[in-house]
Amino acid sequence: MSLTKYMWAAFGLALALIAQPKAGYAQDCTTKIGAVLPTSVDWGRPIAETAQFAVDQVNAAGGVNGCQIEMVLRDTQVDPKVGVDAAKALVDLEGVNLLLGAVSSGVSMPILTSVTVPGGVMQMSCCSSSTAFTKLSEEGKTNGLWFRTFATTGVQSAVAAKVASDQGFKSIAVLYKNDDWGQDMARLIAADFAAVGVEVTASVAINDGQPSYRGEVTEALASQPEALYLALYPAEGTAAVREWISLGGSQKMIMANSLKSDEFRDNVGLQYLGSALGTDTASPRTESADAFRAAYVERFESEPNGPGLANSYDAAMISLLAMQAAGEGATGAEMAAAVPKVTDPNGTPITADTEGFAQARDILAGGGTVSYQGATGDVRFDANGDVSAPAVVWSFNEGGTQEVEYLSLAEVDAFIGSLK
Amino acid sequence: MIQNLIDGVLTGSYLSLGAIGLTLVMHILRFANFSHAELLSLGAYSALVFDALMSGLVPTLAEKLAPLSLTWALIIAIPFSMIVTGISALLIDKLIFRRVREKGQELSMVFASFGMALIVRNIIGLIFGLSPQLYSKDIAFAMVLSLDPLILIKPDQVFVLVAALILMLILHLVLSRTTFGYALRAVAENPSLAQVNGVNLPRTIMYVWLIGGALASVAGVFYGLSHQLIPVMGRDLVLPIFAATIVGGIGSVYGAVLGGFIVGIAANLALVVLPSGYTPSVPFLLIIIVLMIRPHGLFGEARA
Amino acid sequence: MIGVLSYLVFFATTASILAIAVLGLNLQWGNTGLFNGGVVAFFGAGAYGTLILGGPPQEGMVGGFALTYPMALLGGMAVAGVMAWIVGLLTLRLRHDYLAIATFGVAVAFENLMRNAEWLAGGAKGVRGFERPFREAIGDGFLYNLVFFVAVLLILIATYVFLERLVASPFGRLLRAIREDEEAAQSLGKSPSRVRLTAFVTGSVIMGLAGGLYGTFYAFVSPQDVLPTLTFQVWAMLIVGGAGNNRGAVFGAFLIWGAWTISGWALSRFAPVEAQLYTGSVQFILIGAVIVGMLVWRPQGLLPERLIVSQQGSNPVNKRGE
Repeated sequence: MSLTKYMWAAFGLALALIAQPKAGYAQDCTTKIGAVLPTSVDWGRPIAETAQFAVDQVNAAGGVNGCQIEMVLRDTQVDPKVGVDAAKALVDLEGVNLLLGAVSSGVSMPILTSVTVPGGVMQMSCCSSSTAFTKLSEEGKTNGLWFRTFATTGVQSAVAAKVASDQGFKSIAVLYKNDDWGQDMARLIAADFAAVGVEVTASVAINDGQPSYRGEVTEALASQPEALYLALYPAEGTAAVREWISLGGSQKMIMANSLKSDEFRDNVGLQYLGSALGTDTASPRTESADAFRAAYVERFESEPNGPGLANSYDAAMISLLAMQAAGEGATGAEMAAAVPKVTDPNGTPITADTEGFAQARDILAGGGTVSYQGATGDVRFDANGDVSAPAVVWSFNEGGTQEVEYLSLAEVDAFIGSLK
Repeated sequence: MIQNLIDGVLTGSYLSLGAIGLTLVMHILRFANFSHAELLSLGAYSALVFDALMSGLVPTLAEKLAPLSLTWALIIAIPFSMIVTGISALLIDKLIFRRVREKGQELSMVFASFGMALIVRNIIGLIFGLSPQLYSKDIAFAMVLSLDPLILIKPDQVFVLVAALILMLILHLVLSRTTFGYALRAVAENPSLAQVNGVNLPRTIMYVWLIGGALASVAGVFYGLSHQLIPVMGRDLVLPIFAATIVGGIGSVYGAVLGGFIVGIAANLALVVLPSGYTPSVPFLLIIIVLMIRPHGLFGEARA
Repeated sequence: MIGVLSYLVFFATTASILAIAVLGLNLQWGNTGLFNGGVVAFFGAGAYGTLILGGPPQEGMVGGFALTYPMALLGGMAVAGVMAWIVGLLTLRLRHDYLAIATFGVAVAFENLMRNAEWLAGGAKGVRGFERPFREAIGDGFLYNLVFFVAVLLILIATYVFLERLVASPFGRLLRAIREDEEAAQSLGKSPSRVRLTAFVTGSVIMGLAGGLYGTFYAFVSPQDVLPTLTFQVWAMLIVGGAGNNRGAVFGAFLIWGAWTISGWALSRFAPVEAQLYTGSVQFILIGAVIVGMLVWRPQGLLPERLIVSQQGSNPVNKRGE
């Protein structure tokens, strides 16, 4: 067969596939939204599950503007090329105006610059933490289409410093994931620990996908710290902490919220995590704030513990609320512009569940605004799409995690101010 | 420093086991098998299944052999897993590699193995989930050998090292004392000449896969015992194992053993010299240095 | 329909960029027999080089050279070339498996350096380069993508023509001569090591060109763009398309990238909702199966090399597989 024949055959096949009508939704009204998440990665799959969970709740409440939501999910394979292509396909072929994702900043960024901003599509990421997004936004290059529910690393790092100082630690070693989030955390935490007078004895990068972290752990151990700070994900966190404990390392640990995971607790063992304290952003102190947790436990039979789960839920929920607020047939820019209407601090508080969504719909229909009380707090975005939130200190227990201390937004801000 | 050295030797023991199988396959079948490390995953996960099965059938087997975190159930699971993995390696060869070998050239084999690695890794991920698994959730504490300088050794790792050395000794005896060993070396030297002299080539290839698979399975279990099981463990291990093979010289079993230890030690010692972010490059820098001095590895020989 | 068209243009742009890299590899492997396992390092050098050279000053980083675009792109290619020259001097005397692993190691070290050296390449958060060229004039919508695609396509064609000429030239014959029988070539007074180095550097510069275009298109590059997956993808394209044949190389690029993306798209569209979470793993299995299947079915590639013997009287063209 000649080259041209092959080409035409491939082209014809592609057209045939694209043109094939989607059966089954003839009479129902369906709105598609896109999601590009790394479903082939261990921590990525639960993030996608949680986004789908939020969509299911919204559908149970009757959908958005009377239409059921279909979340078209694509795997990024944590490969920017693949993620960008998937995003472009979702925008062009599925016609989505709203895109959830991605997780890694290195995938979210090219999607933002080459797909969503040019295409006028609203993009909401659960977990991309890079400061580069804030800069891009400050330069006015996101057209206000970019949002993320990942609280800036500054809050986590400051609260960790507060914990260290409250516990009276004199010295601490830092193990951090060697990606953009981890490098950011390591830099911030070093400054914050220094500000409260805790000596950082070693700051050790943990690379992804290494067969053994023995050498890294040995290095941290050799610096003889009183405690250990962990900015890791569960997979390498488990490996590193098991190694750390087996070598007789201190059980005084401070963990970033990425380790708030049942898998980590079970695999390391609760008996070794008794004096480990975690930091996280928190829901405000309202009774309704427990709604997300309760519904999650009912659905998945486990606590919503794991990196990015609460963020992913909020990302999906806020996007859909904004979609509702923007009205039928809204463009991505209109949805993005409607986000303040659903995260208005002066609006009616609504819960993070089916009832909350139904209630919000009525209020928004009457021209009101709502304050979404999300899984990560009463989320509010600043002009750059970044979020700030109250914080919590937690520890592991038999059932999952328990709260040790709650810091309101004002307290967090005051403490961060005192560090400078 | 001494601690890093010891850690390196202990890490080296499972790398060596993996590298032996790879070096045999690379030598006899003349292709870089990127799916070899998936045999480690396959072995580790099948041992997990047999382990659970044994502990379920005979609960007393699930007790730990203190101070190891090893159980009898897992020890019994190992030979089963070796058989399963060896046969899987053979099957993959029968179904895929042999067909590619008959039609294509060396490089087709390399990429077929790459494709196979993707398939095996993701099937494991579908079956067992993407999260890490452990043979035993208890943490086996390290023994303090010396306080100043602080030197710690985990009992499990000593067991792994001893067991690996015993396996290597057995292999050495097989290769140097049996007709099979001679046949293997003859095939490696010159396949056509060996066949003329009555060596059964297909059978030799079969044994190579069985041995390579079985050793890989043990290496996988040992790795799982020292660390954890994840579906992508093959991806994480394939490069150190290749490094070990290449440093030792393709085709040399003893080179593979030594290469495994060298790579293990280098990876652990690297932290003394370099910031930890750079550790993944170390095995490769080592390879490049070794190859600049000896272009065919430490024990490898040039061949047409 | 405009959506479909817009997507196809986007798809074809990425595929064309990858095709340029595959052409570079074809010069190295297909024509010269150099097993470069570190394609992504040279691709990445081009991308990082272009963005750093052409980008505005950024806090705490070298760079801010803000060169005009063509200069930045040429600079990126030069970075790839210089790196290839050094790597080539060190490793090219190694054969096949050894060379592959050594160059693979170079690629791992490159990614590692980019990930850790914040002063040089922004570290793990990557480099935000410059706005895409001519964006002000034509906006950044469909029209931009179309114009960019045409530009990439022209560069692809130029690269193709250049390589076809090169391969047909005496130098090309020399490359094949060395690939087939180094000693014979040497006995005719040729210097195989110099010729191999030239081919290696030229191929790497072409990969650097592809990387530069890639970085320009996304206006961003991060260590995630330079993982070994890309090396595998480019190789798979060459092997499936047909090593030694430039048309095969381009065709392979479109085919494999098509399979890679269509499989994800088809799964998201046709797999039941409950299975959606597992499609990532299923897609990898499909990709693996396609590659293995191709190699079992047609190991010489879809468009195999045409061996041209310049002597009159012998069989001029090997038609096998055409």
